Amino acid sequence: MRILSATVRGFRNLQESTFEFSPRVNLVLGRNGEGKTNLLEALNYYALGRSHRGARIDDLIGFETESAFVQLEIETKPDDVMRCEFAFERGKGNRFFLDGEVVGRRADLVGILNTVYFDPESIRLVRGEPSRRRHFVDQGVSESEPIFLSHLTAFQRTLKQKNGLLRDLKRGFADYSTAREELRAWNRELAHHAVEISIGRDDYAHRLTPYADASHRALTGGDCGLEFAYRPALETVRSKLAEEVPENASNDPIPSPLSFCEKEQLERDILSEIDYIMESEIKRGRTLCGPQFDDFEVRQDELDLRVFGSQGEGRAAAISLILARSDVLHEKRRIRPVIFFDDIFSELDSQRGQRLQEMASGLHQVFIATARPGDVAGWDPPEMKTWSVHAGRFDQTESP
Amino acid sequence: MEHSRNNNGVANDGGEFQSPALERLVRSLSRLPGLGRKSATRLALHLVSESAAAEELVESTAQACEQVCHCGRCGAITEQDPCRICTSERRDPKLLCIVATPVDILPFEKAGFYRGRYFVLGGLLSPLDGVRAEDLPFGRLVERVRLDGVDEVIIALDSSVEGETTALYMQRLLQELPRDSDRDALHMTRLATGIPVGGALAYIDEVTLQRAFQFRRDF
Ligand SMILES: Nc1ncnc2c1ncn2[C@@H]1O[C@H](COP(=O)(O)OP(=O)(O)O)[C@@H](O)[C@H]1O
Ligand SMILES: [Mg+2]
Ligand SMILES: [Zn+2]
Repeated sequence: MRILSATVRGFRNLQESTFEFSPRVNLVLGRNGEGKTNLLEALNYYALGRSHRGARIDDLIGFETESAFVQLEIETKPDDVMRCEFAFERGKGNRFFLDGEVVGRRADLVGILNTVYFDPESIRLVRGEPSRRRHFVDQGVSESEPIFLSHLTAFQRTLKQKNGLLRDLKRGFADYSTAREELRAWNRELAHHAVEISIGRDDYAHRLTPYADASHRALTGGDCGLEFAYRPALETVRSKLAEEVPENASNDPIPSPLSFCEKEQLERDILSEIDYIMESEIKRGRTLCGPQFDDFEVRQDELDLRVFGSQGEGRAAAISLILARSDVLHEKRRIRPVIFFDDIFSELDSQRGQRLQEMASGLHQVFIATARPGDVAGWDPPEMKTWSVHAGRFDQTESP
Repeated sequence: MEHSRNNNGVANDGGEFQSPALERLVRSLSRLPGLGRKSATRLALHLVSESAAAEELVESTAQACEQVCHCGRCGAITEQDPCRICTSERRDPKLLCIVATPVDILPFEKAGFYRGRYFVLGGLLSPLDGVRAEDLPFGRLVERVRLDGVDEVIIALDSSVEGETTALYMQRLLQELPRDSDRDALHMTRLATGIPVGGALAYIDEVTLQRAFQFRRDF
């Protein structure tokens, strides 16, 4: 996957311009606040259907203008070029196009342009709160299995509805006589999606581990192994995971016990588990159990890095995991995503930084933004293109 | 806009008319679903300059409001209560199709294959929109199933989480109904989801395809 070229107009502080990118390494140099992240944000926007930093649409439009437009030419496979465009109008939201045709639903954007974004925020994956790890995994599963995304969306909507009902009950707005039957109905809908989410997350953790392990060894130059394991909040799912996998049950190198279980049975068990705590949920006015509380353990040689690792170990492990996401995508769909490195090398020692640059640029098109040219000093990969940015204006320059 | 200044003495500066009556008309039109202030203004100006069309509209609206009602049995939109479907001898009372809104009846009637009757819920369970079980006519539904001796209930709701949950709620509600010992258990079915007729397989979304696959049939 490559971004061949881009035209941006009216996006944040970026001056209108057209870029022809290198298929390998693209370097953006500039002091803080000049517009490096803004460019990467524009290039990554189509992939997610939103800003990676969660910005509102109106904040993405240049202060002085009323609309913004970005056009990307991407190459998904050699000689398969597509035109991805999006447009914003102040107060009116965004619109996406693929080869000139409107893309109606955001779910339809998934998988057109695949990217992986590293910034100081994303490499808090290991030591940060569990929601980061859930989000990381959910994004990974969704990009290789669109059906997972539909279950996840449905699950979240159902959860909101159920929480709404529990809240109303606690405030005394709702009638208790029908509430239990209603909660049971919401629970059934939840359980239906919870099964798929649990299976998808566990399967993904199993797939990710060998790649993360290999990247971690390469990145740290040591013999520290890395393991990523699903830690579901539901007791039912936990005990299922502890079961033995039938021998020769699959050709998968590391099969998950969840992939052999009877889905209907697991769904019934999950339902009994969440039905069982209904009275406590009513008392507390919110849901207390389910995949919304799942976590993933990150172990480096038996050490749980979520709690025990140093900051440096945590960052290295996070980078290995994020790189592994691109390997899984490749395993499933034969796609090597575009990789963005936004000011992360200051968070790594220079040796690891260089190893990471080498590892990523070997297989992917990469975009590197940094305020410190020293981060890439002495690195001269083939086909590198360099821009320097000043107040949103980009000039192509010699490599540093 | 060419109508914004005309001989009716109406000037449109900043959205305020010199005529309070016109302003009132625009405001009530713009409260209609799908009409913004701009289109409401255009319609209002058209109506005040074409009085015949306006009179016809006033009269037909008044007549419709007077004559149209909801069928007390099934909730369909009708001019006679109970409605023609509920009273027709040719419609099988033992077959009951449950839909969310009166509009959902139309495609069935247009297609013409369905010989049973309907029951309109008027909404779906959705606490976030303030819709709870006590807001939907489940009591009347149960009564209807009992009194008409319904044998099969067909659930035809949206495939949203609200539609699914409402279906699950009704499933338990109806399952627990006591039945006369000489009759078989109440049969509950749902509409199948799948590939639209004439639809090209290549453009089907993954979820629909998965459902169609899951519920594939012998051939
Ligand atoms: N909507 C906008 N319109 C114009 N300028 C903006 C907008 N949003 C942010 N900026 C400017 O962009 C600059 C930050 O750019 P950014 O790409 O984050 O910097 P960096 O080069 O450090 O990554 C700030 O000067 C900010 O004022
Ligand atoms: Mg930045
Ligand atoms: Zn009727």
